[in-house]
Amino acid sequence: MNAIEVNNLHKSFGEIKAVEGVSFQVQQGEIFSLLGPNGAGKTTTISMLSTLLRPDQGDALILGHSITSHPMRVKALLGVVPQEIALYEDLTAHENLKFWGKMYGLRGAALNSRIAEVLDIIGLNERAGGQVGKFSGGMKRRVNIGVALLHKPKIIYMDEPTVGIDPQSRRNILDSVVALKDQGMTVLYTTHYMEEAQELSDHIAIMDHGKLIACGSHAELVKIVGELDRIRLTTSAEGASLVERWQSIPGVAHIFAEDGVLAILTPDGNQLLPHLFDAALSQEVRITSVDIQSPDLESVFLHLTGRALRD
Amino acid sequence: MILRLFDIAIKDLTRSFRSLTGVIFMLVIPLLVTGMFYLLFGNIAQSGDFDLPRTSVVVANLDRGGTRLRSNARIPGGLRADTLGGLVVEVLKSEDLADLITVSEVAEAASAYRQVDERQAQVAIIIPADFSRQFADLYGQAQIEFYQDPTLTISPGIVRSILNQFMDGMSGVKIAVDVAMDQMDSTDFPLIETIVQEYLATSITQVEDLSGELLVVQSPRKDLAAQGSASPLMRIITPIMGGMMVFYAFYTGAATAESIVREDQERTLPRLFTTPTPQAVVLGGKFLSVFLTVLVQVSVLLVAGRIIFGIYWGQPLPVAIFALEVVLCAASFGIFVNSLIKDTRQSGVIFGGVLTITGMVGMIRIFALNAPGAAILGNTVSLLTPQGWAVRGFLHALNSDALTAVLVTALVCCTWSTLFMGLGVWRFSRRYA
Repeated sequence: MNAIEVNNLHKSFGEIKAVEGVSFQVQQGEIFSLLGPNGAGKTTTISMLSTLLRPDQGDALILGHSITSHPMRVKALLGVVPQEIALYEDLTAHENLKFWGKMYGLRGAALNSRIAEVLDIIGLNERAGGQVGKFSGGMKRRVNIGVALLHKPKIIYMDEPTVGIDPQSRRNILDSVVALKDQGMTVLYTTHYMEEAQELSDHIAIMDHGKLIACGSHAELVKIVGELDRIRLTTSAEGASLVERWQSIPGVAHIFAEDGVLAILTPDGNQLLPHLFDAALSQEVRITSVDIQSPDLESVFLHLTGRALRD
Repeated sequence: MILRLFDIAIKDLTRSFRSLTGVIFMLVIPLLVTGMFYLLFGNIAQSGDFDLPRTSVVVANLDRGGTRLRSNARIPGGLRADTLGGLVVEVLKSEDLADLITVSEVAEAASAYRQVDERQAQVAIIIPADFSRQFADLYGQAQIEFYQDPTLTISPGIVRSILNQFMDGMSGVKIAVDVAMDQMDSTDFPLIETIVQEYLATSITQVEDLSGELLVVQSPRKDLAAQGSASPLMRIITPIMGGMMVFYAFYTGAATAESIVREDQERTLPRLFTTPTPQAVVLGGKFLSVFLTVLVQVSVLLVAGRIIFGIYWGQPLPVAIFALEVVLCAASFGIFVNSLIKDTRQSGVIFGGVLTITGMVGMIRIFALNAPGAAILGNTVSLLTPQGWAVRGFLHALNSDALTAVLVTALVCCTWSTLFMGLGVWRFSRRYA
């Protein structure tokens, strides 16, 4: 049985169609990422899957329970880590965990021992008595995650948990996500960071403008763009002015300018590079930097939407 | 699920009383304002009464007497006077006025003026030589000259009031005598004397009553004297403390209920909705916390008012009913007004506008207790606000009013609360449906 089965979800806010016909499946014990730029519909999708929003159309089964007809059963199975730090900043970390634990139905000794375990998992044992409002952003994020782990959920949703934190805390969180998977937990992870999705995920669904535009493993997605290398060139000329002149060079599959830099997709970067230098020389264009990347999700998104993921 | 409802309420209660700003508004300011009045009128507390300084009055009685009022052995009050001027002096020297004025006599008007000019006396009274004669004359005009220190107002005012009342009585005597002389046989002196005696008796009795009337502090709290705690200080600070309690209870109700909107903004409320705790329990817990917070506040203020200031609130049952009224009205009103706002940026309008205006209107009976028209406004305009009814409940308890009145007010407060609570719950439930 799949942990999550999403079938044709739709959600609109007035005239705006936030989610349109999204369907995917998440297997038990895997990390599944929803990747897309801001406003792609990731949070709306996860809000529907956590029963916060009722879909206009479609349904989803969480371990066999419908989000529309049995929302309370679904809630008991889920741990939700919201995008925002949803904690009581005037309470201590321990008080927060205790309160949220009670909201998941934990009491007494079971609650206390679980709080101790969670504090251990998030690495805040020594700061348990500290007021959350005085914690760093990274520590708050860890408590935010800890709350969702209290009742040992089978599935955990993590909505952009690394937004706005320092690299070290980010590393801790990514490691803890992998650790959760190792414990057999199913993780539904949303992010707009391609690297995170690439590093963590067993499967990735790419969303844009409320629609799911691609879904599969990293290798499967990369195949969509034909496993093209990506060359980024910084030149003395305006990148946009070279696009038309260089798109006929043999080996250039796709060429475009982004942020003043020339981006080229090609089956083999090493073979194309000398031709690019020749062209630059003949046109008196000076190349100041070169970067060759193997196919990645950024390329896939670019291929599918014509835009970079960060746009 | 009931346990979770209380968990949410207790969590909010903890947060409310952990907030320094919250505690200041809930407890410190009401006590501080009352404390300021307590210190301001502290001297009253020590003496137990208003301590008006005795007014020094110097009298130059130049009256040489008249033709009619010479024999006066039967003037009531045990006073003896050969002339009407002498009677004025005797009245001013009476024991009943001894706490208010000290009277000394001089032989000449100039001496009296000088004493006032040199501030040895505050008031000089010059009774002219023809005072009795003018009084006896059918067309005469008996006048007393009143000379005072121009920098003083209260003390000379008291003396003037005494004299005015005395002279009003004497005018009545004069009219009666003149009418009798005019209408009856002028030789019927025994009857005329009887009329004079009756008028004098009335006049002097009125003068004797003056000392009491001048010092009466009007108060609607008729039971305080019976409770032995009706000191002037208590009469001032008890309504202030009660008013502050009502005013800030409504503030607390709104501020605590604002946590629903704030938690929505801070995303803890949506997160609560992702837990297997029904939405009704989440909102119920939030509502319960508002009632509990106001209940704690009112209880603490009642006890603190009693311990710190020695305030007598009334009999236990009416006080308990009043406390319940405040809690119900303040909490439900707070929930209602917060259901009207979308985010905490709009709270300023609610707290600064709605709560302040309704609070001030509701407090009319407290802040304008003895002002003309206050009672009318308090019984009409104030009662358009829930604060007005809460204040009414407070005054019922304080005045030991009839149980019927107490229960009627309680019923109205319950109706207000049900209305506000119903509207608030309906709006919040719709918002988070």
